[in-house]
Amino acid sequence: MLLLIGALTIGLILSLLTFGVFISFRIFAFPDITADGSVTLGGAVTGVLLVAHVHPLLATAAAFVAGALAGTTTGLLHTRFKINGLLSGILVMTALYSINLHVMGKSNLPLLSERTLASIADEAAVRMMGAQSMNLFGWDVSARDAGVFVVALLAALVIGALLYVFFRTNLGTAMQAAGDNAQMIRALGVNVDTMIVMGLALSNGLIALSGGLLTQYQGFADVQMGIGMVVWGLASIIIGEALVGTRDLGYVICGAVMGSVLFRLIVALALRGGLDPNDLKLVTAVFVFIALVLPNMLQKLRRPAQAGGA
Amino acid sequence: MLELRRVYKTFNAGTPNEVRSLRGVTLNIEPGSFVIVIGTNGSGKSTLLNATAGVFTVDSGSIHIDGTDITHWPEHRRASMIGRVFQNPFSGTAPSMTIAENLALAARRGRPRGLGWALTRGMRDEFRDRVRRLNMRLEERLDNPIGSLSGGQRQALTLLMASWLKPKLLLLDEHTAALDPKSADQVIALSEEIVSRDKLTTLMVTHSMQQAANLGDRLVMMHRGEAIHDFQGAEKRRLRPDDLLNRFEEIRRADALDESAADMLRRLYV
Repeated sequence: MLLLIGALTIGLILSLLTFGVFISFRIFAFPDITADGSVTLGGAVTGVLLVAHVHPLLATAAAFVAGALAGTTTGLLHTRFKINGLLSGILVMTALYSINLHVMGKSNLPLLSERTLASIADEAAVRMMGAQSMNLFGWDVSARDAGVFVVALLAALVIGALLYVFFRTNLGTAMQAAGDNAQMIRALGVNVDTMIVMGLALSNGLIALSGGLLTQYQGFADVQMGIGMVVWGLASIIIGEALVGTRDLGYVICGAVMGSVLFRLIVALALRGGLDPNDLKLVTAVFVFIALVLPNMLQKLRRPAQAGGA
Repeated sequence: MLELRRVYKTFNAGTPNEVRSLRGVTLNIEPGSFVIVIGTNGSGKSTLLNATAGVFTVDSGSIHIDGTDITHWPEHRRASMIGRVFQNPFSGTAPSMTIAENLALAARRGRPRGLGWALTRGMRDEFRDRVRRLNMRLEERLDNPIGSLSGGQRQALTLLMASWLKPKLLLLDEHTAALDPKSADQVIALSEEIVSRDKLTTLMVTHSMQQAANLGDRLVMMHRGEAIHDFQGAEKRRLRPDDLLNRFEEIRRADALDESAADMLRRLYV
């Protein structure tokens, strides 16, 4: 149960990351790997502010702003200075490594007794449950785990709903169209460069927000915590798309959450089943590779068979 | 209305692939006129439209709409005045978005886009109404992605979108060239209807001599980056497809003459 609730919580927190990766990779078809740096940036900013006794909500919001700035930088490198999109992301991600170290002042920033969203959730859960733990379907669940789970669920639901609404507005649809057909939306009076910059800002803001929440959940920020996060997000998106099987925005957003949670569960089970944690990134990368290649291979295998039958 | 003054544009200047696409084009188009542009391949007719739309900035010369100098306006800014339909039916619509969403995007052409709802119930009713008039049975498919439609249907919708907010200038760039004959006829009929109903100032490039002779009230013939003929009024009305073909034949012969003369001179003197 501990494993399950932990995996669900992390999966929900990382669904914000998945939203962000969805915006850059799927809506804009922009392979933005700034994300690896933004996750850490969000964690670092939130961590440092919490240590300075800033209110946890404000510290979490600051992570979004910091991530949005990182995304804006990548966007400007690409649109203003015409640097290849992938390279723009690599440049900002690399720069962020130093920036993150500066923000934290060291490579690992523990949150021991600081007031965080997690500790607030813990207190609230204790107050509501009247005990340090409760019995849920025969399992013992600590108040902290239950409280943090609820916070993560709320975050995923609220942000998901906000995203859904945003992509139904004039600005949101223009952004989608900029990724879908730049020539068309330019002819309708939209500055595509501005849309890309704003989209990457939103994307990285969400990714950093996810990093900020993750830091509070795990109780520390680490300069390495962002490594491989883009691929993680992609894997979640792919699973989500397989689950909902449609491109309708509402379903896709739900799919991103489900994919993120399911992927985290799979990983947790695999780790428990004896997967060496050192192999985790390798396995994730291979999974994404297979998911990208498999549909084409299946099609190729099917086509000669059809030709033979005809 | 639309005024081009001595517009020059050279692509890949200073390289072996240099193309002098526009060589001092001057054109003055009256409000409400429907101008057909024809020309040989590479004559600069599409370049003329793209220069007007702002796809690139011209090397020299100036472009004015309604007296406003838009020579240095970026493409998206010019869109507030210009509606466009492209040759490729896939170019004018966002394929993964629905018909209604595409129309809603067009309903704000050149206007600020904020956080208001893109689609309201009132808009949907209006969309259904105007889409029904296309007679393509698309009114029941407003929530389908546009990518699932045929080229002709997409081109008809693009036309509807380009003219949704009455543009000061409508640019049609060989917009039926990629369609099957039946769809092309439909789209042409729709173009005529929209242009005459809204009295739109229109610039239309075409390859079809039939369309060139039948449509519009003025015809400009381009060759090698220049407007070499300009038929207006009664002269335009008298034009038949054969007359236009004869003109092209004349151009071809003149070109051939140039070449054979050059050949002769080369043989004599080099």
